[in-house]
Amino acid sequence: MIKADNINFWIKNRRVLENIYLQLNVGELKVVLGPNGAGKSSLFKILSGEATCKLGAVAYNGRNLQQYNAAHLAMVRSVMPQSSQLSFPFFAKEVVEMGLMNINNHNPTYSIQEVMLQTNTWHLKNQLYGNLSGGEKQRVQFSRALVQIWEEKPYPRYLLLDEPTSSMDISQQHQLLHLLLGLKKRNIGILVILHDLNLAALYADSLILLKEGKVIANGVKDEVLTAENLFQTFDYPIEVLRHPVTGKPLIAPQPVHTNFQQTIKSA
Amino acid sequence: MALLLQEKKLSNRKNYVLIGLGVLLFIVVLFSLQSGAYTIPSVDVLKILSSHFGADTGATSIQKNVLLHIRLPRLLMALMVGGGLGIAGAALQGLFRNPLVEPGLIGVSSGAALAAVCLFVFGASFPWLPNLMGAFTLPMAAFVGGLAVTMLVYRLSQAGGKTDISLLILAGVALNALAGALIGLSLFYADDAALRSFTFWSMGDVGGTTWSKVHIALPIIGIACLLLGKQHKGLNGIAIGEAEAYHMGINVQRLKIYVLVLSALIVGTGVSVTGAIGFVGLIVPHLIRLTIGSDHKIVLPASFLMGAILLSLSDLIARMIIMPAEMPIGIITAIIGAPFFIWLIINVKKLRS
Repeated sequence: MIKADNINFWIKNRRVLENIYLQLNVGELKVVLGPNGAGKSSLFKILSGEATCKLGAVAYNGRNLQQYNAAHLAMVRSVMPQSSQLSFPFFAKEVVEMGLMNINNHNPTYSIQEVMLQTNTWHLKNQLYGNLSGGEKQRVQFSRALVQIWEEKPYPRYLLLDEPTSSMDISQQHQLLHLLLGLKKRNIGILVILHDLNLAALYADSLILLKEGKVIANGVKDEVLTAENLFQTFDYPIEVLRHPVTGKPLIAPQPVHTNFQQTIKSA
Repeated sequence: MALLLQEKKLSNRKNYVLIGLGVLLFIVVLFSLQSGAYTIPSVDVLKILSSHFGADTGATSIQKNVLLHIRLPRLLMALMVGGGLGIAGAALQGLFRNPLVEPGLIGVSSGAALAAVCLFVFGASFPWLPNLMGAFTLPMAAFVGGLAVTMLVYRLSQAGGKTDISLLILAGVALNALAGALIGLSLFYADDAALRSFTFWSMGDVGGTTWSKVHIALPIIGIACLLLGKQHKGLNGIAIGEAEAYHMGINVQRLKIYVLVLSALIVGTGVSVTGAIGFVGLIVPHLIRLTIGSDHKIVLPASFLMGAILLSLSDLIARMIIMPAEMPIGIITAIIGAPFFIWLIINVKKLRS
């Protein structure tokens, strides 16, 4: 379990996170939602160990994050940041291979091939990363993060993804989240920052709504995804319907002009 | 199956390039030992060398002396300094995530030169220094000077926890200029003897290398190169990003210090024995990346080999071109390096547009 207690974080005297508590269990897919500047990425960096908070603590499997060194932490959690700029030309497969640089994997060749087939990047393996499209680059980076925790281990592990689908087409987005559904069954907990509310509604187990560094709602999906919560978080009228096929929440934002008329009416 | 075949081709190519570089190095070594003002046929070169390991030989004592006491130490120094510049250049480019970085640009060379000058000019005021470190005084001073300036450039280029490359280059230019001015200032206070030893040293050349110099420089550069070559994982990770490298289990801060210290040690020691030799650290990693890709596991050792080849070849040219006189080796590397740098700038421009 990842446990974050009372996280407070300042950037240049501006408080970007206030008293955040969260838990991520294995087998759980947790989605973080919130408007721009809500502090999602700061929270992400603190959870991944990249940034340290002055107040508050993060523990992985009951052990404080500070007690892990980088190599040890890499065995327990894998991270995909928003975007990665390569400084030198590498082949797509070389990028994926790097995910295993500190991992004791018994059959790296097999793991890499399996992951790249699953993420639909195997056909790109001999292409230079710089020549790929935005969505393809994201899939290659996703593969790199995925291969790091691909081989099953007896201890609980975690995958942290910051807007992994931002450049992907709709089919690739759903394939990625579907892959995550399979992955969480392997003693892995997953935390994803998303902007697409419907993706979150379809695949998440639990949600955290963040706004201006504060938690608006935190809990199981059906409790958190309500019209009031979403309005409070995004300052925008959003209806929550039922998906006709899955019965899961379906997010329907209202167009701006309706929003206007309502404001006029109420005024 | 077809795909697997392609992969094999790629890894084969890497092996071919390494083997090719090895063969090339051997040829350059042999050629370099046999040519010069006094020619020694390559058969005799091999005979003398093997006699050193116990075999009998019919070579004359002049041949033996020229080979063992003039050419061999000189060649070893060229190989080591050239290889060191190559591998340090590759590692620094990897660390700074920029292909235009070279040891000269970020102040290693000028810092080392400044420290060396200070030692020549003001060394007499600190007589305990040579007593303490003996023959290691000059390499150590050059190392400390190179490291100090590099650290300062690195510090100045940090913005928001990341290395800002334009700041880096500006800081490098500024500190290089400052170091140059301080070198001039120190020389102003120098007496004739100090001026003389600095002038000879600053010409940047491997001529006059003695075994005693080799005995000092070879182990320092050799060990530092070996340690630097082991940083390939971390440098690969850094190529994706500093944060990503950390996510994949690299202690980024430690890696930065390792690479900076080892590079300063290699280049500082090199500068202390041969003077500042430019462009090798810039060109070599580029040539290597163009032929075998960016994987530092290969780039680092191949850059060492290529740097060794390039510098010993430059030295060969330097002493053949106006025989029996010699041209400073720095001139040769700059004549090869400067046009290459221009070609590089043009290509980077093309890539961006």
